[in-house]
Amino acid sequence: MKCYICAQEGKDTDALAICIVCGMGLCQDHLIRQEVDVWEGGYPFPAEKLEKTVPRILCGFCYHSLKGRE
Amino acid sequence: MPSLNKRFIAELLGTFILVFFGAGAAAITLMISAGGNPTTPFNIGIGLLGGLGDWLAIGLAFGLAICAAIYALGRISGAHINPAVTIALWSVKKFPGKEVAPYIAAQIIGASLASLSFAAAVGMDAVTLGGLGATAPFPGIGYGQAILVEGIGTFLLMITIMGVAVDRKATPGFAGLVIGLTVAGIITTLGNITGSSLNPARTFGPYLGDMLLGGSNLWAFYPIYLIGPIVGAIAAAFLYNYLSSEN
Ligand SMILES: [Zn+2]
Ligand SMILES: [Zn+2]
Repeated sequence: MKCYICAQEGKDTDALAICIVCGMGLCQDHLIRQEVDVWEGGYPFPAEKLEKTVPRILCGFCYHSLKGRE
Repeated sequence: MPSLNKRFIAELLGTFILVFFGAGAAAITLMISAGGNPTTPFNIGIGLLGGLGDWLAIGLAFGLAICAAIYALGRISGAHINPAVTIALWSVKKFPGKEVAPYIAAQIIGASLASLSFAAAVGMDAVTLGGLGATAPFPGIGYGQAILVEGIGTFLLMITIMGVAVDRKATPGFAGLVIGLTVAGIITTLGNITGSSLNPARTFGPYLGDMLLGGSNLWAFYPIYLIGPIVGAIAAAFLYNYLSSEN
């Protein structure tokens, strides 16, 4: 797969990742990697944030659309 | 994980919610029915207004308070709001031993503050007529029977907590609702036998308030509400672990 955004700019770059929301192929320059916290526990135990996070890859469009909710 | 200080405050607050609303509902029922003429000695006033409906209302006041405490504070401290639950979780190695004492202290303090606040908010009738919603065995119920009843009731509560919340294979999100309604159901049936405390802290608060404010001295009954709930909860925790084990 090729990078969707690069393709729009007339470039032909291989995609390294896919946006989890819209499915767009993305190159290194156009992907946005977020780290999502993972919580364990909850009633009847206290909730605890785990040390490791889970990566989430988004394109710029989806990142900015979702950011309003975070 | 939140610091032990924060969890202490959460347990205190959760138990305050439980005793203020739950035991408060029992006290209010006794105040409303005061002066009425019960048809049997087994009726002390709760049941005079709407039969078993009185106990359902009190049970729901407890159940809804438990829902509120679990959803509001469950992720902070675990919202045990009951020494029997804390001890039972420790007995099956689900809760660290060194935190048992601070959790129980928080629960006892929260319950006591709730009873004293209720008396302050409602006035002395809450103590003299309502007994601050203290639990005691009903006429004709023996000491041993009362321990058995509290044990069975807390067993049913704890087996529900184990299956609905401790077991991570259970559907998440519904625990608070189910456990609150479970307590409401248990109180509806067992309320008119022992008051259906199921919780040493829940009985401690009104007992302390009654003693300090010149109400009845009921401490002779306290072992019922200590032994019954703790033994019942531990038995349920062990039984659930056995039932859900792989072999
Ligand atoms: Zn690109
Ligand atoms: Zn996207």
